[in-house]
Order: sequence, then C-alpha cells, then structure tokens
Amino acid sequence: MIGVGNFKAADCSGVGRRSFLKTAAAIPFTLGSSNQVMEAAQAAQKSGKVKSVILLWLWGGPSHIDTFDPKPDAPMEYRGPFGTIPTKTPGMHFTELMPLMASRSDKYTMIRSMVTTSNDHPTAGTIGLTGFNENAGPVQPNFGSIIAKDQVSTEALPSFFYVGRGIPRDLPRRIEGYGGGTLGKAYDPFLVRADEHGEVSIPQLDLLKGITPKRIQDRQRLLQQLDNAERRLESAGIDEWHRTHQSAYGLLADSKARQAFDLTQESEKVRSRYGQTTFGQGCLLARRLAEARVPYIQVNWSEYVETFSPNCDFGWDTHIFNFELLQDRHCPILDRAYSALIDDLSDRGMLDDTLLIAMGEFGRTPKISNRAAREHHKDCYFSIWAGGGIEPGRVIGESDAKAEHPITRPITPLQVGTTIAELCGIGARKRAEMKVLDGGSVIHELI
Amino acid sequence: MSLSKFVFIAVSLGLYGHAEEERITYDGSNKRDPIFIAQGKKLIYCLDEKDDLIRAVSLDLSDPESEPVPLFDDDRSHQTELAYSPDERFVSFSECVSNLTGKLVIRDLGANKDAIIDHSGRGAYRTPVFTVDGKRVIYAFAEKGPMQLWSVDLEGKDKIQLTETEGLTHWPSFTPNGEHMVFANSRENNYEIYIRDIEVGEERRLTENRIMDIRPRVSPDGSKICFVSTRDGNYEIYVMNIDGSDVVRITDNEERDDFPSWHPDGNRIVYVSERDGQKDIFLVDIPKPVKVTVR
Repeated sequence: MIGVGNFKAADCSGVGRRSFLKTAAAIPFTLGSSNQVMEAAQAAQKSGKVKSVILLWLWGGPSHIDTFDPKPDAPMEYRGPFGTIPTKTPGMHFTELMPLMASRSDKYTMIRSMVTTSNDHPTAGTIGLTGFNENAGPVQPNFGSIIAKDQVSTEALPSFFYVGRGIPRDLPRRIEGYGGGTLGKAYDPFLVRADEHGEVSIPQLDLLKGITPKRIQDRQRLLQQLDNAERRLESAGIDEWHRTHQSAYGLLADSKARQAFDLTQESEKVRSRYGQTTFGQGCLLARRLAEARVPYIQVNWSEYVETFSPNCDFGWDTHIFNFELLQDRHCPILDRAYSALIDDLSDRGMLDDTLLIAMGEFGRTPKISNRAAREHHKDCYFSIWAGGGIEPGRVIGESDAKAEHPITRPITPLQVGTTIAELCGIGARKRAEMKVLDGGSVIHELI
Repeated sequence: MSLSKFVFIAVSLGLYGHAEEERITYDGSNKRDPIFIAQGKKLIYCLDEKDDLIRAVSLDLSDPESEPVPLFDDDRSHQTELAYSPDERFVSFSECVSNLTGKLVIRDLGANKDAIIDHSGRGAYRTPVFTVDGKRVIYAFAEKGPMQLWSVDLEGKDKIQLTETEGLTHWPSFTPNGEHMVFANSRENNYEIYIRDIEVGEERRLTENRIMDIRPRVSPDGSKICFVSTRDGNYEIYVMNIDGSDVVRITDNEERDDFPSWHPDGNRIVYVSERDGQKDIFLVDIPKPVKVTVR
C-alpha cells in the first residue's frame, strides 16, 4: 500500500516489479592516481560498478563496545553486562545482542577503527555524512548528493532518497550536512517513510488534499490537480514547493515509479523477515529502491538522536538506559533488519552492484557513566560494509583493550565518503571537477 | 522414587508435556512488560502506540471483543515496567518525563496522587516491584555508577539502598512470604540470577551461563522462578525451582520470547513472543512432567 499525502493508494496498477528493473547507463569510471585507488577501482569494475548505495544511518551514536567491539576482559567499569558470542569471522566476537548478524559476518566486513572530530550530534552528523565539519566553511554535500549529481536515476525516481521520519536532528537543531550543500538544493534528498506496517508515505505531498487513488490513475487530471496545488502554495509563499516537489509529481504520474514504493508486492514472508518496525520496513523499502536502481538511499534509524525523550523516536543516544534499551529495543531491531536486508540482497544477486554500509556519527564512552550508561565518544566506533566489490568476512582496524582508541590506522568519515564515491565510479579526477571530498582517500583495506 | 528424583529424570530425558498456549493479541506492534491484575481478568502491558511513544494499556480479558485502552490519560511520556501493590490500590512504573530524564511513579489510584522520589542524577529508574506487604517499592536506580536496588515507602520517603555491588542489578522479585528476594546482576561478566535471604543478607547464585539469564519472577506459590535466557541461541522462557534446580525450557520459537510474568493461578506464564517479525502476547501452560517408567 502506498500512502501519498493524506491517503493510501492500495490499488495502483502498473508494470510489475521485475519489469521495472533497468540497467543503469554506463558511466566512465575515472581512476585516481594511487596504486590503491587503481586496485580499488579495478576490483569494483571486476564485480560490476556500484549502481546503488544503501546507507543505514544509525543516528545518535550506537555503542560499539556493547555491540560489535566487545571487550570482555576490560575492567568491570568498562565492559558492560553482556556476554560475547563468536561470529563466522575467525577471531571476531560480538555481544550476545547481535546473534543474527554474528551468523552472517561472512557477508560483510567490519571496521573497528573509525574516528571523528566532534562529540556534538549535529556537527558529527554532518561530518559523518559529508566528511567535513559544518563550521569549516560552506556546508559540503552529503555523500548521497555527490552520487546523485553524478548518476541520474532511471524513470521518475529521484536519485537520492532519505527513508525515515525526517531530517536527522537532535532537540536543539537539525544537521547541516543533510543534503546538497555546495552542490545546491537540487541534490537534497527526497524524503519517504515507511511505517511499521510497511505503509509508505511521502511527507512532501501532505498538502495535496482531495487527490484520490482513482484520480492518480488519470495522469492528466493528476497534473491539473498538482498545478493547482502549486499555484496555491506559491501564492502562499512556499517558495521551495516547485523544486522539492517536481520529483513527487513524477512519482505520482508514473505508475512504474510508484511500484517501487508498494511493499505489498512483497510476500508476507519477505516483509516479516525485516520485522514489523519502521526501521525494518524502511530497510525493505530501501531494497526496493535499490532494485529500481536509485543511486543512493539513506535509511535513517530515527529523526531524533534522543533515545528516551517525549516525542522523540528512539535514537541511539543512550545517555540513560543504554544497556536496557540496547537489549530490549535497538539491537533486536537492527540485528533483524540488517540480517534480512543482507540476505535479501544476496538472494537476489544484488550484492555485487549494491553497496551496503551501516554506521552512526560516533561511538559511546567505553567507561560506564554514573548513570549506568554511556556518553558520546568520537575516538572510536564502527562501520559495516557489504557488497559493491567489498571483500566480506573480515575485520579492518582494531581498538585498544578498552575500546577507547584505535591501535591501527584511524579511518575517517571523509575516507568513507571517498570510498563510496570511488566505488560508484566517481574517481579522483571527477571528484576534483565536482569540487567534492577534497583530500579524501580510499579505504584501500576494504577492497 | 522421590518426587525430586522423578523430576530430575523427566528433565534429563526431556519428558515434559507439550505446553499449550493461547494467543492474546494480534496486532503485531512492539510490546513489553505484560502483567495480570484483577485475578487475571485484566492484562496490563506496554505498547508502541506511535513510533515515538510507549504507552501502558489495559486489556479486559473477560470480554473477547475488547480492545486495549490506555491506562492513563498522559499521552506524552513513555510508560514502562508497571507493577501493582497486592491490593492493587497503588501502581508503580518507570516514566520518561523530559529529555533523557526518567521518573519512578508511585501512584495512589485511590487518591489519584503521585509520590515523589528524591534522587540525584537524571532518573534512570527501572523495574519497580512492591514488597509482599504492599508497604514499600523496590526499584533499580543508577546514582553513582552501577545500577543498584533501592527501597522507598509509598510516599517515596525513607529511601534505603538495598544493594552495593558491582555490575547492574535489576528485576527484583519476592517470594510470597517475603523472606527472599530474587534479582539479576551482571557482576560475573553477564547477567545471572541470584537469591537473597533478606533477614540474613546472604546471596546465592542460581544460574551460571556465559550469556544472559534475566527477568526472574517468583511464582505466586513461591516454589518456582520464571526467567529469560539466551543459553539456547535466542531469547526463550524458562522455569526453575526456587533453589535454581530443575530448569525447564518453556518456549521453543525461532524468534524472541521475552518479558515473562506469572498468571495468578501459577500454572501459566504470559509473555511477548516475536513471530514472523510481529510481537504479540501469548499465555502458555507450564508443562507437567510426563509420567514414565524407569526400569
């Protein structure tokens, strides 16, 4: 069922999902100058250039020591209450909170030596999504905006999607690096959301009253309605209307594009594998968008970082109830949704040309706080990489005995973005031409 | 053959009868903390009402057509882990009242009045339970690091710290005579279940696994403890004797079974089970040992 604005369009018809698949246009693959970059590019070419990126943005700062980098031999005030379990990767253990992901570690590679430069959520969020501090000058583009500028989505679908409730934020403010930045607002993400039942809505169209599912089949009438709505909104001074809703027009007018949003086309078995949660169904929606060859899909765990605050949607910012919420809520949801997604991508043969990354903006203090929880920790966290030419089943980087700092080469968000770009065929020369990711290097260990 | 020996054999051979179960909810939304009140005629649990709100609801089990209704008018704060006094005049629960700030509510339902508990820190209150005489509330709170158990009277006064130990301490539960308190603590690297003789102060460890044993609850007759363990690969419900012996696995589902609580009759356990990605509440019989002849 598709919810568009203020209604649910359950009866949309059109071309089937398989027929919606298109082969992305071949884009020259520009190589960088270093050997590592050359090797990376060759590896990516060998397995097929990345056609879609799915970033699972674990907003709020997930605890690395309680999930993917446990330290059972650390002192009591560090190690936390959870036991550890082996994974399929030799020598790598997770906490017992992630059993499904542990049993699939041969499908992805774990980086345990991520670092960033800020302990402030919006600032670190911008760094995590753009590679740069928002205060260092003009806000740089989100990694997705860079990909969107280089790669045009097929059909009417936008090239850069946010799947989630809204632009990531904390209570005081939203992040600056959510969208196009220096590339312009034309490369901002297009927001869609799936609720726990898999009903997809497009918040930008909430103002379009009176459009029924029947009318949506009549393209001429739809466009007339939309034009009328645009005039009304422009006269009301909503100047962003035209830009941000052009894509929405296309979605509504193009039945094939709408198919990507219709999770009811999935079997109950597939839908249930992801779990009846907003994040789980968001991951399923991301897979459908990747299948429709949308170049970049960012699935936001939550809109707010705050984990246990009124009107906030349970982010990973576990200043209180860290252990309780990880155990009861966050980890079971992530463990299930990630495992379903990577299984699904693998089963459909999509992992070769789909890059799947999961990470947050920082980790959490390994030393347990006075509130029996953990605070922000920029000096060590994780990212998880799968598909897109990444050699799976490995651990890259290592943290110290208390998970406080990397003892191997630190890996930065700028390197994350550069690696994503490289794997998507945006080599050093093209990045320079686009004036993006300046100074970034590829994480050559990944490839 | 003595009963204890018979039970041992039955457990060793896996000879417990099939556990009959009844499904209570069908909506599949995220749920937690089911408990019975009103002699088992009402079920209280916490439900994800929206993607940003956990709300306590009540389900009238005497009416098959009934729907869950909010327990309280407040629709802005998360409400979890409810416990009722033996006479059900008081209810206590953990509530989120502002950014990263929780509160332990002790509500006099008769007088419609809340007690105020004074702690330093930002309010990481968890797992309240009433003492057997109904005169005090025991709860977990982290004031200076480790999560410890505390006790207050029904007005939130006369605060006493009950535990002073390493690790996190949660889920207190009392035997019906009030002589023993069962709880879980993580000082041995992961959550294990302990029992304390309240008069003497001695503690004894009841479980020993390399992974978690959590949420112990003493049965109404005081003879057994239900709890959750991941010892068999995922979250399942177990029952053991009050001394830790004779552990019986009650559930066997591929997905998560959690948040067990006893039915007042002591023969059944209500719990949240995730099946096909949906979380609903089930009521399961405690299986009886199957009589076998050992030659």
